[in-house]
Formats: sequence, C-alpha cells, structure tokens
Amino acid sequence: MEVLDNVRRGLIPAHIYNDKELFELEKARLFSRAWMFVAHESEIPHDGDYVVRRVLDDSFIITRDAKGHVRALFNMCLHRGMQVCRAEMGNASNFRCPYHGWTYRNDGRLTGLPFHREAYGGDDGFPRGSQTLLAAPNLASYNGLIFVNMDPHAQSLEEFLGDFRFYLDFYTRQSRGGLEVRGPQRWRIRANWKIGAENFAGDMYHTPHTHASIVEIGLFREPKAQKRKDGATYWAQCGGGTTYKLPAGSFDERMRYVGYPDEMIDRIKGVWTSRQQQVVGEDGFMISAASCFPNLSFVHNWPKVRDEAGDGRKNEAVLPFISIRLWQPISENETEVCSWFAVDSAAPPEYKKNSYKAYLMCFGSSGMFEQDDVENWVSLTNTAGGSMARRLLLNSRMGLFSDDRPVVEPLSPAAFHGPGYAQVGYNENNQRALLRLWADHLEMPTPSAAAI
Amino acid sequence: MTTAQLGKPLPFNDNRHLQAHQFLVDEAYLLDAQQYETWLDTLTDDIRYLMPVRVTTALGAGFDTSPGMAHFDEDKYSLSRRVARFATEHAWTEDPPSRMRHHISNVRTFAGADEAHLVVESAELLFRSRGDVNAAALVSCGRCDVLRRCDDHWKLARRTITVDESVLRMQNLAVFL
Repeated sequence: MEVLDNVRRGLIPAHIYNDKELFELEKARLFSRAWMFVAHESEIPHDGDYVVRRVLDDSFIITRDAKGHVRALFNMCLHRGMQVCRAEMGNASNFRCPYHGWTYRNDGRLTGLPFHREAYGGDDGFPRGSQTLLAAPNLASYNGLIFVNMDPHAQSLEEFLGDFRFYLDFYTRQSRGGLEVRGPQRWRIRANWKIGAENFAGDMYHTPHTHASIVEIGLFREPKAQKRKDGATYWAQCGGGTTYKLPAGSFDERMRYVGYPDEMIDRIKGVWTSRQQQVVGEDGFMISAASCFPNLSFVHNWPKVRDEAGDGRKNEAVLPFISIRLWQPISENETEVCSWFAVDSAAPPEYKKNSYKAYLMCFGSSGMFEQDDVENWVSLTNTAGGSMARRLLLNSRMGLFSDDRPVVEPLSPAAFHGPGYAQVGYNENNQRALLRLWADHLEMPTPSAAAI
Repeated sequence: MTTAQLGKPLPFNDNRHLQAHQFLVDEAYLLDAQQYETWLDTLTDDIRYLMPVRVTTALGAGFDTSPGMAHFDEDKYSLSRRVARFATEHAWTEDPPSRMRHHISNVRTFAGADEAHLVVESAELLFRSRGDVNAAALVSCGRCDVLRRCDDHWKLARRTITVDESVLRMQNLAVFL
C-alpha cells in the first residue's frame, strides 16, 4: 500500500490522522492483536475489587476474584447479552444480570440461573456448571500493568515488551512494592489517537515552543530550547521515549536534583539494575515522556509545586510525578484520554501529596502542559479530514539526511547504557519507529474469524 | 461536603442570600470575560478549589467519586500559576480565546459556622465554543461554596465542584468553574 510505504519513509500522508477506512483497518489488524493496557493491579488491591474497562468497543470487567487472581471478563451476559456490570468500579462477589437475573461469580462462573429446572429442564437443557463469562483471549501483566490481547495466539507480553521493559521499570518499579495509581481522569478529545502516542514517544522538538508558557510562569525549569535538545531519545523494540540531560553529579545527586527524597533513592537503588542506574548516574539522562505501542504513554517530569519564598522548605518545592495514560480510540477523529496519577507505594505521605499536586498542575484534564497539546491535536485532526490532506505528505524525517544517514550519530553503548537506539537532540526517530510498527500491523492480514 | 446538615436555606429575601447570589453572578461575568486576575482577588489566601473525578458506581456502593483523584485540587499558589499562564503570550489553548457563558442557577444560601461564613450551593452550566468547526462543549456541575466575610465584602474560601459526567466532553479544563 502506497500510504504505508510513505509512512515508512517518514513522509506521512496527512489523512492517516482522520480516515474512517484506515480506522476500520486499525480495528481489524492492529487493535485485534496488540497488547492493550486496561488497568493497574493497584486499582483492584482486594479480593472482589473490580474496574470496568474497554478495548475499543468491547467492555471487560477486570476483577480480582476470591482467590486473588486477576481476570478480564467480557461484560456480556451469556443469555441475552446485557452488560452484567454497569458500574465502572467497586467490590462485588457476584455480578447479576439485570435482565433475567443470571448470576456470575467474580471469577466469571455462572452460578445462578432462575428457574433452571422449570425453564431448561436442568443441566440437560443447559449445563450451568460449565458456563463462564467469556474471558479475554489473552491476559498478562508486567510490574502490575495489566494488558489484554484479543488474539489468543499473540506473542507473550514479555516477548512483546522485550527491551522496552528496561525503561518501563523507571516509571513503574521504584521499590519492591511497585506503584499505586489513582484515577483515571477521563475526557474526550476530538483528535486521532496516534497523535498523542507519537508526541509522548519522541517529540522533544515541540516542548520549547508549545510549552513556552510553562517556563515563563516558573512551573518547570527544564524545557528551554537549549536544555531540551541536550536530551536523548531512545527506542527499544515496542516503545521509546524522551529524556532530559541533567547537570553533572552522581546517581544520588541527580535523583535529588529532580526531587526524589533520599529514602526513595535508596529503595530505587534496590530494584534498578546497575545498567538502569548508569543511564542516570553516568550518562546523565532522566526519563521524561514515553510511549509503548500502540496507545499507552507515560510521563515523568519534575515541576515546582509551590513558591519557595518564605516557607523555608526550598528543596521540597521541586519534585517528580509519574502519569500513565491511555489514548483510547473512539473513532478516526475522537479519543478518550484516560490519565492516571502514579506514585511508588512506599513513598512518604508528604511526597505522595506533593507529587499528586505536581501531576494536577502539569498533566491530566486540567494540566497546564496538556492544555496546549490538545489544542494542537484537535486542530490537526480537523484539518486532516479534508481532501487537501490527501495531497499532503507531512515531513516526519527529522534527524535524517536525504540518503537516510542520521544527522547526529547514535549514542554508543558507553555513552548510553540502555538498550535500543538512542541519540541526542531533536529528531523524529521514535515517531517513525511507532508508525513503522503501525504500518507493519496494517499490512499483515488477519486470519479469518472462521476458527471461532 | 453537603448542605444536608445545615438546616433550611435562608429565605430568598434574606440580605445574606442576596449578597451571596450577587457574588456568584458577578463572578460568572468575570469568568466569562476571562478577567482572571480580578477573579483571583475574590479568593481568600487559604482557598481550596476542588473538583473530584466522578465515577459510575452501584447504588449503595457508598461513593461516587474516584478515590483520591480530582480534576482540580488547587490552592492559591496553583491557581495563581494557572492565571499567570493565561497572561503569557504562549497559552495557545486560549489564543484565540473561547467564547464562554457560565450559567448559574438554583442558588441556595445557608448560614455558615459563624457570622463570617456563608455556605452557598448552585448549579452551573458552562457553554464553551472554540473556532468554527467543532461543536461547542458543555460542562454541567453543582457547586458548594464557603464564602467568608473579609472587611466589607465576601471572598470565596472553599469550592467543591460536583461535575455531572464521569467522562468530560471538553478537550481540557483551561477554564474555571
């Protein structure tokens, strides 16, 4: 397909950001077999806890059953197809369908069926004991991040994530206990889902301009143009992200610079490998935004959450926050954003409080960074829907000469201790890598559904 | 916070109710016009401005907000940063500015803990239109406010915004409610 060939060359047909036919193809060939993030295990800490999440049009109850196992149950009664759970979160031992009263345990087993003997002749007519709500075809988790895959034959989550796990740990494993998350905030934007995923994957170039106001008001000291291009981007297998270059110092000093208290640094050193620590301590790079194909993103920034003048707690004013976000596709031109605040479960209460504040000020539905991003993406999506957009190839070749040689040589393993391809400065390597995976999926036919 | 424990609302001809109602209407005009620096002066220095995330839960679950998560959970410093950002030349989301109308209704005023405080609840519908392509966006919410007497006028000391949607249909909250 010519569209995909252009995408692979870094020349993006503008209509891919608002094209109904391509969205149908994404549903058939991409979301049908990609690992889709649905929840974090800390959202359902106790037996019986559940949240209801969608993968495109399919609703799943993500439950922790009576034995503590996490399950993803298709939220549709076996009888007439009613949603058996219409709340979005809670705690329940059973789900009872409101239509005819069929009842399921929180592990999915059908346990109650009114008038089973009279209506069905008992198990002879309907063998109740062997029935369960449909389970998601594939379910797996990494560092508490729960993913669903609609393809029962998909490669394992561990294989899929591969080298990107090295970077996922920075966001999701800062102690043995791992993360706790709050939220998500949910809101709809009139923008194509790919734009946010690309932006978080590698767009260091937009930061000094789009987010100029953030520096001007003293919220974040880093995104000045000079600082941003000193950072490195990296791509490893299924995901990649951006970093900032930190001032000289040891691992501890650099972690303190972005606001981690010493007790958290000690716990982090207990769980990050020496190579992971070298990325910060020797190479001097600190993770910022990242995306994991297809539609999961992360952000880690360190804003100033209060005016330090007067209250004598100067070194507590800057501190980091972590956010997890999902670009949940609604259509070719609409996305539901789900944005969680995440913090290490062992972090001190005061840190959690301030980190939450940092998140709210910067990202999420009211976040000051986010506000300007979405304005751009909505505008882009609108314009991509017209006929002129079909004549326009957007240049996404930043970082490449015309013969595909890199403008800046990649970082050597001695200068960047993480896996994958990393380089300093402005480039669109990661956006191209993400869209190459997108093109690979769209090109690969899916087996017919006849096997079901 | 609910007003259930506060007894009956003040009669609509009570002077305190009239003052509270006027405060909310005057504020709505400031917010429509994006006169945010003036608006900031109507807030006490210890303002808490909270907008929890609403969630759909079963009847009897005992909660309908996302535990520990809000759209806004602000103090004077964070609100002042938001206002300062709008005053820069690089707050792109509001350049060009939205056309907004804060519709305030169903205002009831209750006597507060002492004479210096009033509790006011209201319904609010924000209409926000941007550009000429996309449909306008709406946010419907209830608000419960505490007003505090400061010299000869009232200031907003606390606001809890109870939004009526679990999934906002607005591209961002680069607005105040």
